Amino acid sequence: MQKEAPKIFKVDPKFKHELLKITGAEKIMLCFQCGTCTADCPVALRVNEFRPRQIVEDARLGLKETLFSGDTLWLCTGCYTCYERCPQDVKVTDMIAALRTLAVKEGYIHPSFRMLIDSMAKNGYIYEITDFENELRADMGLPAAPKVNLDEVSKIMKKTGLNKLTGITMEEG
Amino acid sequence: MKYSYFMGCQVPARVNYCDLAVRRVTKALGIELIDLQDAGCCGCLLRSVNSKVTLALSTRIMALADKNGLDLVVLCNSCFATLREVGNFLEENPKLLMEVNELLETEGLKYKGKVEVKDILQIFYDDYGVEKIRSELTKSFKDLKVAVQYGCHLLRPSRITKFDNPEVPHILDELVEATGAKSIYWPLKLWCCGSTTLPTDDKLGMSLARNKLMDAKEAGADCIVTTCPSCQISFDLLQPRIEKIYNEQYNLPILYYPQLLGLAMDMSPEEVGLNLNRIEAETILKFLK
Repeated sequence: MQKEAPKIFKVDPKFKHELLKITGAEKIMLCFQCGTCTADCPVALRVNEFRPRQIVEDARLGLKETLFSGDTLWLCTGCYTCYERCPQDVKVTDMIAALRTLAVKEGYIHPSFRMLIDSMAKNGYIYEITDFENELRADMGLPAAPKVNLDEVSKIMKKTGLNKLTGITMEEG
Repeated sequence: MKYSYFMGCQVPARVNYCDLAVRRVTKALGIELIDLQDAGCCGCLLRSVNSKVTLALSTRIMALADKNGLDLVVLCNSCFATLREVGNFLEENPKLLMEVNELLETEGLKYKGKVEVKDILQIFYDDYGVEKIRSELTKSFKDLKVAVQYGCHLLRPSRITKFDNPEVPHILDELVEATGAKSIYWPLKLWCCGSTTLPTDDKLGMSLARNKLMDAKEAGADCIVTTCPSCQISFDLLQPRIEKIYNEQYNLPILYYPQLLGLAMDMSPEEVGLNLNRIEAETILKFLK
């Protein structure tokens, strides 16, 4: 009987070096795969594909395709339970955020985030405060919600490069 | 007692009754809140796609507060943790502070690093004090069983928020019990309400909120008391949708803490916006003596 050769999957040892440079992801090599993060994750309990421990391992191996394709990275609630309880202080939540940053650099961004960025460009806030809400506020005897200096927001968006991620055309300054 | 006041975007966009209750209660307690004019987004949700923008937007808010020379009070847990984190980060990275300040210069703003960011609960608990609050109350809740909801970003990451014991918090429990109500044990108390996943996957967000609603109900709660606008939105505004999706009935009133406090100060339900809660909350008035 012919023995099947073990299958060796392709890894990318360079990837983690990119990740290690991002604030919050500096300690990924300290992870000893105990699984506290996954055990205490509210999303992992509802979604099989979302495993913080696996995400750390995939990131260290540089399995970029696995990490970036699909919605997995974007399901983290950012509740910081894993961050708080990690015995190795890996800052798992921040590492997932760092992975999103890299995904965005490679052109992967979840559509919901594009919507939030569009709203920021248009309203100066992630969530739009409509005239209806301001009328309601007036009826309640409350002052109108602060008006945002949209020029300033637009300047900040341009300077930080966020404007490149919006679907709205912004004037090049 | 005087503070700069920033309510964030969720409150004016969705739950204005939270702002109403805060203004009424603080006024009655002699706490003065000065609205931060021109304040925009703190950038919390964009941190994971572009941390620089969050840094700049949050610093801008703190620079506006710096101009007032007052500590900054926020209502939203996300604003709280984000502003605190940015404040810490800038303290450790003076070069970055200089860079951000250059960006703010055209507006005539400069963050000097002197603003203390406080959650509204810290005003009640640390600055005003539970005993003094108790002395202001003319009414008391009797036999009202409350499931207390802190929300994530007051407690975690604790090294940034420095708010309370992240695993066994007590501040909101004590503030709730000052009104005579009883804070009950509910197993999922410290869990996330799911709100941040709503834009990405609303079914996932609502399934997390449902877990908590069922848990509070099962533990015998008459209501949930929150302190975070995101949690308030998930539990109150979305409760009818969750009931429909899962074909379940909770009828669980969701109160924002200052609403509960105002009622114990003998304010009318309308004064604290109780008539504006999506889930009828007047049912808890029968416990008020």
